[in-house]
Amino acid sequence: MSTTAFVLLAVMVTAYVLLDGYDLGTAAITPLIARTSEERAASMESIGPFWNGNEVWLIAAGASLFALFPQAYASSFSGFYLPFMVVLWLLMFRGIALELRSHFVSEMWHGFWDFCFAASSTLLILLFGIALGNIVRGLPLDANGYFLGTFGFLLNPYALGVGALAVAAVAQHGATWVRLRIDGPPAQRSRTLIGMLWWIVLALYVATSAATIAQRWSLPAHGVHAWLAFMPVVSLATLIALRVANARGHAGRAFAASSIFLASLLVVSAGTMYPYILPGYPAQRSGLSITDAAPSAVALATTLAVVIVGLCVVVAYTVLVTRRMMRKITV
Amino acid sequence: MDVVSVDRLQFAFTIMFHYLFPIGTMGLAPFIAWYTFQAMRGDAQAEAAARFWTKIFAINFATGVVTGIPMEFQFGTNWAVFSARTGGVIGQPLAMEGVYAFFLESVFLGVLLYGKRVVAPAFYLISAILVWLGSWLSGFFIVATDAWMQHPVGYAVGSHGRIELKSLTAVLFSPFAQWQFAHVLTGAIVAGGFVVCGVGAYYLLARRDEDLGRRFVASGAVVACVFSALAIFPTGDRNSADVTTYQPVKLAAMEGLFASEKGAPLAIIGMPDTQNQTLIDPVFVPDVLSFLAYGNFRANVNGLRTYATELWPPVELTYYAYHMMVGLGTVLLGLAALAVLLLWRKQLFRARWLLWLLMLAMPFPYIANEAGWVVTEVGRQPWIVYGLIKTGTAVSGNVAAGETIFTLIGFVGMYFVLGVLFLLLTLREIGIGPAAKGAPVVAAVESTI
Repeated sequence: MSTTAFVLLAVMVTAYVLLDGYDLGTAAITPLIARTSEERAASMESIGPFWNGNEVWLIAAGASLFALFPQAYASSFSGFYLPFMVVLWLLMFRGIALELRSHFVSEMWHGFWDFCFAASSTLLILLFGIALGNIVRGLPLDANGYFLGTFGFLLNPYALGVGALAVAAVAQHGATWVRLRIDGPPAQRSRTLIGMLWWIVLALYVATSAATIAQRWSLPAHGVHAWLAFMPVVSLATLIALRVANARGHAGRAFAASSIFLASLLVVSAGTMYPYILPGYPAQRSGLSITDAAPSAVALATTLAVVIVGLCVVVAYTVLVTRRMMRKITV
Repeated sequence: MDVVSVDRLQFAFTIMFHYLFPIGTMGLAPFIAWYTFQAMRGDAQAEAAARFWTKIFAINFATGVVTGIPMEFQFGTNWAVFSARTGGVIGQPLAMEGVYAFFLESVFLGVLLYGKRVVAPAFYLISAILVWLGSWLSGFFIVATDAWMQHPVGYAVGSHGRIELKSLTAVLFSPFAQWQFAHVLTGAIVAGGFVVCGVGAYYLLARRDEDLGRRFVASGAVVACVFSALAIFPTGDRNSADVTTYQPVKLAAMEGLFASEKGAPLAIIGMPDTQNQTLIDPVFVPDVLSFLAYGNFRANVNGLRTYATELWPPVELTYYAYHMMVGLGTVLLGLAALAVLLLWRKQLFRARWLLWLLMLAMPFPYIANEAGWVVTEVGRQPWIVYGLIKTGTAVSGNVAAGETIFTLIGFVGMYFVLGVLFLLLTLREIGIGPAAKGAPVVAAVESTI
């Protein structure tokens, strides 16, 4: 049952990355693809109705982590105290930038918030990437699963590489979203941008995957799951499909390919971590396993039932609302 | 400063700032749904009203969301021991808040803000109602979480001192949660009523937008009056009864009652002196506390001296917060009742002195709401989970006081900016007013489409 809980959390995090990913990515690339104030407003408008609902996936995933693996929630959040607070401040900053921007019609006001919005979104993607890289790589933990390292420990080359990959891949994801929603110059610029970003994503993907394999392959204790070997095929195939769809102008397919690509990366990450929710470092040390971190069977079963039923409803009305609100924006 | 005090200070600061905004959303959401409903039936004035309040709501909601995110995560960052021990229980209502309430509110608010010209009117109305439902459900799950910390139920103590969940329904429908939620909700609606009424009063006093101004004053005053009464009875009364039953020390601190008494008096005013265990310059109403607590004028009420001092909550803070809440609640009920009386006699819109009072009254329901939470939370000390876990043992062992002071300073700076922006934008929207012709909800964006 704790495996089911692990899968549920992985699904929620993946949903968060795919959904908030497109609005974070759109924010990050807005300075590159939108030149005039109308174009910037259109770029904001493309994510305006959705970003808030998307961000709830993060909050729901955090709260579910609290309910499903209290010990992991307690150790990771208190262990990463300062980086975590920085993430919180950036999330707050980004939220107010987007919401407050539209309340004044003034070049100066817009310019300021546009900059804040793009900068805080880019930094957030980077920090989320670094966090994911560190969790996959493993953390020095004490017997109760509390983090023993320092801030400096978290800034290792591997995690920074994953952070860079996250920025490139999520920016690319945002660009596919802009093409999907906007008609006009920003869409054309996004198309060109995807063409360029694609090579960076490919290079970083190959490099980080090689590092991941080199680190984990040698560890029988962690049991490389056979199906994981299949995932790079999926990742590479969708990456190529993305390039083809983008070149041919199929915005919907490009967005779908980008989504599957990001999802495949997260599946690999989750698969590499399993059965640990916080793997140990160095890799031979055991970390905090999902069975250690889980609460009683009653609590686990209740949360799973309640959250899964609730999420089905959420997905249903999110799809409904998104379909109603998905009108193409013309600049 | 020691770690526990800094952590408590940070939590108190961030939660009190955050809570200002849920008061606004829970209190305004029903007004928006109501005006949207009337607008759908062809009432052009109501349409302007709905648009106006949706803009104010959106600023409120955005500030509430961004200040709410740190709350959800602060349990883990600052209160790791508490989280690890109780996560199996309180993680449940918190996860439910995210999944069942917060999604609802966020997804459909997107429709309210951006969808006016995109979706059908009926769908728009349903969205307004769902945002309302979401904001109230959100409040319910948060109060259920807090109620469990006030009066833990539906759990068992497992290995390593972990608190394990036995029954989710027991947690969600705990006797403490029911009246506490009703009281919290009525408090928020009172604030919503006073805000709508106060903004209307401003328009009448400024002699602008007078048609809508009268409408705001009338509907706001009626709602404020009805719910101020409900805040006192039954919700406030029943909530106190739960405190009497489950947390008698808190009751004694709230009332500043040091010695146990049969026929205990109610202190209307007075300043507690914990050193000498007495009230300074009190004004008493004899026997009334016994009646309020137990429905019997001669009943015995236990004073603070009955309990060991280490089980006392901070007496002064609990006492003053309680007296502020009750005092303000009573004055606000009187004010709203007077407004409704004059409204009925058709004199309200000419009674400028009363309109002044109604406009200036706007901040006070907020203070009363906050004070009520101070009673609840400070009065719960020294426990973080009543009778189970002491606050002093619940903090993160691996976060130093210095780190928390650093982030506290960060929060103070951030929230100062947020507060200024919130006031600036809200006052600006009020200044622009509801009648601004065709002003779309998201002005700059829609002008480009």
